[in-house]
Amino acid sequence: MAAVDSTQRTPAFRQVLVEALREEASVWLLVVKTLIAFFLTGWIAMRLALPSPSSAMLTTIIVANRQSGMVLAKSFYRGIGTVVGTLVAIVIVSAFAQQRVLFLLSLSVWIGLCTAGATLYRNFKSYAFVLAGYGTALVAVPVINAPLNVFDSAWARMSEVLLGLLVSGVVSEAVFPARMRDVMRRTGREQFTDFIAFVRGAVGGVVPREAMENAHLRFVRAAVTLEDLRSSVVFEDVETRARSNHLRLFNQRFMATSTSFQSLHHLINRLKRAHRERAANALIRLYAPLRKGLDGPLGAGLAAQALLPPLVDARKAIDADVVSLRASLADAQDLRDFDTGAALIRRFADELHDYVESAAALQSSRPFPTISAERVRFDRGNDFLGAGIAMARATLTMLALGAFWIQSAWPFGSSAMLLATVFAGLFATAPNPTRTTWIVMLGYLCGMTMAFICLFFILTQVDGFGLMAVCVFPFIAVGLVMMFTPKTASFGLGWAFGLTYLLGLNNIQVFDPAHAINDAIAQIIGLGAAAAAFVVIPPAVGSPWLRRRLMARLRGQVALAANAPLPGLRHRFESVNNDLVSQVVAQTEPGSADSRALIAWALAVHETGRAVIEMRHDMAGRDVPDALRPYLATALDRLARFYTSPDVATYVAARDAVATAISGVCEHDGQAYLLEHLSLIRMALLDSESAVAAYMPDAPLAKEIAHAP
Amino acid sequence: MPGLLVVFVVSLLVLWALDAVAGRFGLYRLVWHPSLFRLAAFVCVFGAFAYFLF
Repeated sequence: MAAVDSTQRTPAFRQVLVEALREEASVWLLVVKTLIAFFLTGWIAMRLALPSPSSAMLTTIIVANRQSGMVLAKSFYRGIGTVVGTLVAIVIVSAFAQQRVLFLLSLSVWIGLCTAGATLYRNFKSYAFVLAGYGTALVAVPVINAPLNVFDSAWARMSEVLLGLLVSGVVSEAVFPARMRDVMRRTGREQFTDFIAFVRGAVGGVVPREAMENAHLRFVRAAVTLEDLRSSVVFEDVETRARSNHLRLFNQRFMATSTSFQSLHHLINRLKRAHRERAANALIRLYAPLRKGLDGPLGAGLAAQALLPPLVDARKAIDADVVSLRASLADAQDLRDFDTGAALIRRFADELHDYVESAAALQSSRPFPTISAERVRFDRGNDFLGAGIAMARATLTMLALGAFWIQSAWPFGSSAMLLATVFAGLFATAPNPTRTTWIVMLGYLCGMTMAFICLFFILTQVDGFGLMAVCVFPFIAVGLVMMFTPKTASFGLGWAFGLTYLLGLNNIQVFDPAHAINDAIAQIIGLGAAAAAFVVIPPAVGSPWLRRRLMARLRGQVALAANAPLPGLRHRFESVNNDLVSQVVAQTEPGSADSRALIAWALAVHETGRAVIEMRHDMAGRDVPDALRPYLATALDRLARFYTSPDVATYVAARDAVATAISGVCEHDGQAYLLEHLSLIRMALLDSESAVAAYMPDAPLAKEIAHAP
Repeated sequence: MPGLLVVFVVSLLVLWALDAVAGRFGLYRLVWHPSLFRLAAFVCVFGAFAYFLF
């Protein structure tokens, strides 16, 4: 018995051990790679006799990342930021070298502007802005007493940073590169199979609203994640770069298809709820061929290729069924509902076909030939007031410390000011910046203490680069291990930064304990000031105020759909929508009243906005009688107004305008295609389960929806 | 020094063009270690410039 037990237990234990070791090994591999880059950069910088090798070494720590695509992307933007920053530094110093007040003022305004720019972008683009800001300060402030040296300072900083980036890029690409491309491929494939499986499961039945909402959230997240990955992977993988547009198209088609799919299901749900069984069942039957079209093994690439012919057949079958199913209905209302639904089903089938087609072509060795004429871009929804807050914070922090520096004539005031500025910019978009800055500060303190021990008790005993590297290794490795372990990331970051900063490794090493301690105090004060700044001017991210603003922008998307120029509008609408929704989702607790209100609004906006865009496309492409145009324009205008500022009055105005437009269209022959869109919009407005229900005059006011942001 | 920086940037552009061609036809699929290959290609380009210009 004992033998059996042990054989059963051993593999489990071994498995746990192997998994733990594998995780540790990946962290340590990363540490080793970073350290190779770190010391290699230091060695080259010393050989080239750059004035401050330690700032080149710091760069390698800053860009260190698990995937080489991330390293390259971050390096790229850090490079751009540094170049812009140094150029601006030269301009500022040449303009205000004699005027300390104007100098600090212009510097802090520039940094504030850059910080504001940073909050407008996701991923590493925002980092380029932060760097352009504090890069300027790092070049300009040290030469304030000797302005003629500004060119040397700029040149040195640029060479150091670029050297660090170059070495990091080469090391991460050449030494056991970890590919992000695989992650992206997997994400794309999962997005595809998840969506197709959901559609397949939903065809021919009624999907409960909750399942729909969850699916919507999932799809939004998938679309945004894929776009984020794409923007980094293009730096790592040349094939992805060649296929970048195709990937964008794939994503756009995904968003368009999922919106049509949702509209269709809401329509069927509404008909069922209104007990219009005949129309609903006719639609479900019309929809059935798609199920046959989607049967087959799931998967992007070849499997998707196999889905294409059945989908074409399904589309033909739908066209054939429309006539017979329409003939089976008698009631005028049923007929109108059926026409609306049939148009939606056709649109959905076409979009599904396009989506599957682009998925099938993703893996072929030949890039996709037909990049559509419409501009394929993923637009982001940005909030300019939040950016303004970030700007005010960075500028005020810098001005306050600058004033303190001028008043106290503290020799280390400039380095405190620099560090405060750096962190006020870096963490402006972090979810909980006060806490993060605080933890980084503790890490800094520990790292600098270690640096003190290493510098004055160990490095004084040794000579030469090799021994220096061996002696620094244990200190920096501890920091890096913590930095790459998610739980202790901020602490480790502070540790590694503080250590590298205070060591100040150089060709001619300076050993001055008093200077080191003073410098350390200045760093801590700088970090403390940054943390205080986040308390005094709290970040907009995560506040109910910003959430309300984002929701208002999301609703404003309907106004965009109604007014913006048509070319490229479909993609713009979908991508901004998804970006906004994912931003708000990130800031709300799942399942809370806010979150439910958000999803309700998002679904309404998606549906109505798409219908409005489709209607405008039809209006532009066909001959609409002049007598009809004012009605349609009024309906669009009222709709936009209702979604921008929803209340009972605007709701009634929008509802009536749409009804007037519908009766206007009915009076003209041959305009039935407009009717499809208009009745879809009308049904969305009358839906008693959607977000707009709270504004219906006769409805009991559903508090949580009405007052939700 | 600035002369070399210009050459460096130009070779980066050349490498970028090579990448575009190779990515278009999937040539890197035939190579064992694509990034090492790219690095080597870059060193060749940069070295060739330096060899012929200086």
